[in-house]
Amino acid sequence: MFSLEGITTSVQDWLFMKFNPTMALAMECVIVILLSISLFALLGLVLVLMERKVAAQIQIRLGPNRVGPGGMFQTVADTLKLIMKEGLVPDKADKLLFNLAPFVVMMVGMLLLAPIAFAKNFQIWDINIGVLYISAVSSLSVIGILMAGWASNNKYSLLGAMRSGAQIVSYELSAGFAVLTIVVLTGSLQLSEIVKAQENGWWIFKGHIPALIAFVLYIIAVTAETNRAPFDLAEAESELTAGFHTEYSGMRFALFFLAEYINIFIVCAIGATLFFGGWMPLHIGNWEAFNHIMDYIPSSVWFMGKTFFLIFLIMWFRWTFPRLRVDQLLNLEWKYLLPISLFNLLLVAVIAILGWHF
Amino acid sequence: MNTSAILFYAIATLILGAALLAVTSLKIFRSAIWLLFSLVGIAALYFWMQVEFIAAIQIVVYVGGIVVLIIFSIFLTQQSGNKMAKPAAPKIIFSALAAILGTAFTFNLINHYGFNTLSAQPFNSSVSEIGIQMLSTTSYGFILPFEVVSMLLLAAMVGCIVIAMKPTAASIIHLNKKED
Amino acid sequence: MFLKEYISDVVNGVSSLLKGMRKTGYYFTHPKEIITEQYPDNRATLLLSERFKGEVVMPHDANNEHTCTGCTACELACPNGTIKVVTKFEFSADGKKKKAIDTLVYRLELCTMCNLCIVACPSDAIIMVPNFEHSVFDRTKLTKVLNQPGSKIREGIE
Repeated sequence: MFSLEGITTSVQDWLFMKFNPTMALAMECVIVILLSISLFALLGLVLVLMERKVAAQIQIRLGPNRVGPGGMFQTVADTLKLIMKEGLVPDKADKLLFNLAPFVVMMVGMLLLAPIAFAKNFQIWDINIGVLYISAVSSLSVIGILMAGWASNNKYSLLGAMRSGAQIVSYELSAGFAVLTIVVLTGSLQLSEIVKAQENGWWIFKGHIPALIAFVLYIIAVTAETNRAPFDLAEAESELTAGFHTEYSGMRFALFFLAEYINIFIVCAIGATLFFGGWMPLHIGNWEAFNHIMDYIPSSVWFMGKTFFLIFLIMWFRWTFPRLRVDQLLNLEWKYLLPISLFNLLLVAVIAILGWHF
Repeated sequence: MNTSAILFYAIATLILGAALLAVTSLKIFRSAIWLLFSLVGIAALYFWMQVEFIAAIQIVVYVGGIVVLIIFSIFLTQQSGNKMAKPAAPKIIFSALAAILGTAFTFNLINHYGFNTLSAQPFNSSVSEIGIQMLSTTSYGFILPFEVVSMLLLAAMVGCIVIAMKPTAASIIHLNKKED
Repeated sequence: MFLKEYISDVVNGVSSLLKGMRKTGYYFTHPKEIITEQYPDNRATLLLSERFKGEVVMPHDANNEHTCTGCTACELACPNGTIKVVTKFEFSADGKKKKAIDTLVYRLELCTMCNLCIVACPSDAIIMVPNFEHSVFDRTKLTKVLNQPGSKIREGIE
């Protein structure tokens, strides 16, 4: 049967057979880098198109339907346009930081890709602090945004960056608590362990009430962290033109745009791993026959399916809800999400100790 | 020199170079960014040593917390975008001297400390062990400092809230009466 | 009680959000609801509502007759000088002198489709039609003469 695990092992065996270990390791690094870059490019194209199509359907429109069959190549055309465009740098901008900012944002996205398990035994780096690593590195993306806002030498950019900073720093807390809920249930930070713990059922079913609450909190918090509507105050078009990337054009703008979608993919992938068992097929307790049938669907398909389901969920409420005001945003976090997630963490600790989960 | 050593020197160069730029840059925001790179470099060094937990904490606390705080305070200051004037020559000389002497002193201390080489087995500490140690009440447990620090943080937070709280009308009248 | 209020706040908030999501979810799963007109493709079957105001025209009947008396009420009503009525005097069969229009000039590029001329017309000589394909290569083509050549006023219209 088709499996990504087989391909990776055979590639590794071949490399180690042909070259000395250091060389082979370096070549593996290069392969991984190339793969992740191409994944990024592909995801950018697919997700932007998906967003536009979903938005159109929800708003009773058709969406892009001219370039290619059903508008399939619309994003390719857009990318070509962005590559051709001139990348302007404002006159009094801090040139170095202005040019560096999009790359910082992209690099953070790439670093976050490392611990994600795409399929069974198909993971770049199964680090033993997986979840902590993710929350640590994702806090870096705010730096890129602050840098972009400052270096643009533009009041809209600066305001957007500050809003985004305040937002990311505060919503990181409840996202972290939501993740901790699952960590408490699993007893491990390692993503492969978390997936393995869901062999007899996903945490969203096994952890019942607290897992469900944590899932809702997680989705809300990561939507805010990725600066998407209804929390897109950082780039509120009606107030700040485009927020922190007002002055960016051409390929630099494309990098920010891509990074936004990559971040969505990553947070959804992590949400899928934590709450929906990552690549683990749908297993129900001891129903051997049912579990066996489910195993026939490849694990990568399970992972991608769950991730795209979550992405769809986030898009769904992006196109349903109106934008929050900045004070409402902070009220929501500090007065509602944070107390609820603290209480939820307490609840889940009690449940984990008493063994009330399935 | 093997790959590991090459990596070490690369990371060390990043840390020191970024730190040097942070000190010498005349733009305050750039200094903050160089400081950030220096701190990220230190986290990379921890990763190189395979103490991932410490590395992640380094990023969470210093990069995600402190540098963001510094950047925010820079944003809120007036005229922070201007280039600062070059410091006077004596200032440069004395600060360079202080830095060099400090380095020499530290180097001297480290050089005289006989590091006893451990056996070559890889250093491994799981997160759960760290957690147990942190809240352990037996000997070598860190429960007391842990709780003391949490009390300190609580006091700091209460203090922040008190400072940030809007004074109510009643309290203002009360204060005025006291002044009279 | 504070806690009770808090919990009811949360429940109310979540339920109202879910209501919104149900509506958009309904639209997402029902592509039949899509209202986009694929304009150049469906040109043949395109349906515009009668009340759509796209252009002023003067209807003529089969005998090439209109009902415009040349009273210039439309010209006076127009806020931005779109209509210009050029009148002439006609002699009817019994030798009576009568005012009539020579040309009714309508400049589409100035028109804002405000409908004031239609309202002002006492004899309903001009109407709005749902016609929106106005793009031309030459600006002068937008200056139109509404009465057809050789047309005359219908009998019995004063």
